[in-house]
Amino acid sequence: MENEIRNETVQTPEEKVHYSSFRYAIGAILAFFGFSNKTHHASQKRAKLVGDIFVYIILLFGAFIMIYPFWWMLAGSFAYTSNLQIVNGGKAVLHRLVWWPDQSTANSTDTGISLFYNYKIMFTKAFVQSDKSNFAANYSYWRALLNNLIYSIVPVVVGVITSASAAFSFAKINWFGRNQVFFFLLAAIMVPGASITSTQYAMYTELNMTNNWSVMVVPGLFGSIMTAFFIRQFLFGLPTSIIEAAKIDGAGYFRIFVSFILPLAMPAIMAQALLSFMGCWNNYVGSYLFIRQDSEWINMTHAMQVMSNGAYSEDQGPVIAASVMCVLPVLILFACFQKLIIGSLMLTGSKE
Amino acid sequence: MENQVSANEIAVEADASDAVAENEVSFAAENAVPPKKKKRHINQQKLQDNIWGWVFCLPLIVGTVWFVYSALIMAIMLSFTGYTLSSGSLTQYLANLGDHIYTNAAAGSSIDPVTGALISGGEATPEPFHWYAQIFTKTLPNIGGSGLAMHEMGIYLFNTVFYMIGIPIGMVLAMFFAVCMSRDIKGGSVFRVLYYIPCVASTISIVFTFKLMFQQSGVINQILGTDHISWLVGNASWNSLHGKNSTSNFMQNPYWCQGFLSKMVIVIMSVWKGLGGTIILYVAGLSGVNQATKEAAQIDGANAWKIFWKVTMPDLYPVIFYNIVTSVIGGLQIYAEPELFLPNNNAMVAGYVGLVYKYGIGGSGTSPAAGAAYGLFLAVIIFVLTLFQFWLDSRKKD
Repeated sequence: MENEIRNETVQTPEEKVHYSSFRYAIGAILAFFGFSNKTHHASQKRAKLVGDIFVYIILLFGAFIMIYPFWWMLAGSFAYTSNLQIVNGGKAVLHRLVWWPDQSTANSTDTGISLFYNYKIMFTKAFVQSDKSNFAANYSYWRALLNNLIYSIVPVVVGVITSASAAFSFAKINWFGRNQVFFFLLAAIMVPGASITSTQYAMYTELNMTNNWSVMVVPGLFGSIMTAFFIRQFLFGLPTSIIEAAKIDGAGYFRIFVSFILPLAMPAIMAQALLSFMGCWNNYVGSYLFIRQDSEWINMTHAMQVMSNGAYSEDQGPVIAASVMCVLPVLILFACFQKLIIGSLMLTGSKE
Repeated sequence: MENQVSANEIAVEADASDAVAENEVSFAAENAVPPKKKKRHINQQKLQDNIWGWVFCLPLIVGTVWFVYSALIMAIMLSFTGYTLSSGSLTQYLANLGDHIYTNAAAGSSIDPVTGALISGGEATPEPFHWYAQIFTKTLPNIGGSGLAMHEMGIYLFNTVFYMIGIPIGMVLAMFFAVCMSRDIKGGSVFRVLYYIPCVASTISIVFTFKLMFQQSGVINQILGTDHISWLVGNASWNSLHGKNSTSNFMQNPYWCQGFLSKMVIVIMSVWKGLGGTIILYVAGLSGVNQATKEAAQIDGANAWKIFWKVTMPDLYPVIFYNIVTSVIGGLQIYAEPELFLPNNNAMVAGYVGLVYKYGIGGSGTSPAAGAAYGLFLAVIIFVLTLFQFWLDSRKKD
């Protein structure tokens, strides 16, 4: 009954068109997939459902493309590449790899081959075998790992605190020339890094900062302008009355900063700290340009590059293990704090 | 003492964020307390503010002045000299800038590396713009083993611009995925996290993985069924797409398609790596689009496609503009990816920054002065391009 009424309202007798049965069938199929057409009407619910399924398929396909290289990397780190019995050596194992290596360290019966064989080799064998005098021959990957920890923890912790203090000063203290100084600092981000790097290289060389830890640590200790800028934006949202109350109770600015600003701005500070930690952990160019590759102070990413050109240019399993070691800590951190990081990115509208 | 405390409180009240309010309260304080004492107290508060304000941002100021501004000024000064790392102290060298202008010695004569003075031989002419001239005049002989000489800066700039085709591709893809994610579906935030993972991974690990995946017998060719394509041979052009030997004939392989496939791999990789960041930017932008306008358009009979172009896109315009500006600035400074794919600033793939480091930083024969000049030219390019984009932006609004 209800159907009839609707049919009447939609198609008045004089404009009723007769469709061929083929066109009618196509209309029915289209309506089943949520597309309203001249012959059939699809419900909104059906349209939403079909659209959702379509979107899920697209997003899952995209997610697969995003994740697959990481899976490949992980699978490759278990490839038994030092097996010289097979044709073309270990390289061919990696070239053939799609889901899991056909010659893997897991199911090899050779003596001394365990599941984590590539990781073991990476941590124990020297990078370069020819020259015993240099770092690569004398230190194993442990040292690069230690360097990476120093390079990413020290400058980030100190740098974020100095950035936060600058942000506090810009957001909550009225001082003479505040805005001028702020724009003076903000203008510095317009200077492209690459255009002053060679001058910085000359500067660092004169200060004896190249080829040791200081070139990777000291510049970061002073904080970064972008970090200060984002924390400042966050601090603008905090009520000034807290600071005034603290002042009335006799707290100095230093006390206010330590006991009020740092805890209250912790979400913003943590997000910025995590992002800059990831940046420092992955900093390849700094180490590559300013630290010689036979120095003991190279970081993990640089060490990986040295490995791939040196002792492991034929046997690349340990290099892939090294690349997993570079990626894994950052991924774990990201997995733990993804809500904070993504939220901060969406709030600030920055990409890194 | 009590008096001081009360005045302090007043001063504290006066330290409201609003400057106008501060003035009002301080006038009120003027009426309340004897003028002499009051003045001293308020000044003390302001003094405190000024001292602590400077103290708190001093590290950042020192760092920025030291590592950015002084480096920039020194770069400008250096670019007119012939400084090398064996020239001694940088500051002393620059203090006597007048004596150290780059001198071009005639053949057979030599120049003291420290003083820049002529030691022996014929004539020496000062050439302050030597490095800048080199940017525009230097040619590379024998490109890709072809025997053809080509303009060096042109090649490297061409590579840089080539990589920028990744920017529109990445923007369209990111917009597509962002629209999908901002549908009202379960697990949208999970996808956001998954797509962002490549952004946090280190470039070298990813380059190393992609290098192995794009080998001739590697997984990509296995999936696509294109075993004849050698993606990563330095000067393989698109002729290898249909299985021809690419390096044999230079005339069939003009420069601009040499190394085409290697460059394409780099573009694919940078699009893949940068997609997540752009998606997050767009998702944030899409969530800020006015829902009421959308509904109004829907009631007026606009379909989804029309709503997207006429309602959503204009609202997203600032986000897209920001993304274009930052991507162009970042894209002009591409260095690590090509360097890791084919090392030593290979002319087939390296971007302009590779040229900066080729002459500025590295082994013998490099000079920070040359690097400074090449870098400053890059800074000028970036500045002009950014200004041009803002000019286009302002013209659009009229």
